[in-house]
Amino acid sequence: MPELLETIATAWVTLLLVGGGVLLLRAQDALHRILALDVLVAIVIALLTIVSYSRDVSYYIDAALVLALLSFGATLVAARHVIRGGRPRS
Amino acid sequence: MLDAVLDVVGAAALLLGLLIATIGLYGMLRRERVFEQLHAAGTVTGPAVVLILVGSVASGSADIITSAALVILFVFITSPLSAHAIAQAAWRREQDADDPRAP
Repeated sequence: MPELLETIATAWVTLLLVGGGVLLLRAQDALHRILALDVLVAIVIALLTIVSYSRDVSYYIDAALVLALLSFGATLVAARHVIRGGRPRS
Repeated sequence: MLDAVLDVVGAAALLLGLLIATIGLYGMLRRERVFEQLHAAGTVTGPAVVLILVGSVASGSADIITSAALVILFVFITSPLSAHAIAQAAWRREQDADDPRAP
């Protein structure tokens, strides 16, 4: 992959990361924040993938896999918490 | 020959994925309600990430392509599930807010 393309892609994803941060700051309640964090993790996965391409090392994608797993669990638990509000199952 | 083709395909997939992610993020910034934002978020967490990972065919390294295939499989499973969890939470919350007997 040409080096120029890698540079452009890294810069682009970094800008997307800033956009995700704006989204997170503009969130009004918990569900918006959960959604914004989900999208931020997706952008970080993309960033790690592009870093992996540019350095020609595969470990960064493994880190992205672990991050995706953690984000999935966190989203499920947080959404469940919004439904029940920490009350025990009735 | 094959290398050149894979290079072009990978670069195109990478740029298309970035474009889709940008559009999805713009949609999320434009919309206010959770369900409308979820619609836009689905494009970022699903197709955009998958396309960027498909760009790994241009790297020509077996390690990277194998790991990327694993992540693609994982994203295909988890992205709809987490979107469904968020949508269900938002829907339940609206139902509870409409219900006068709700705690």
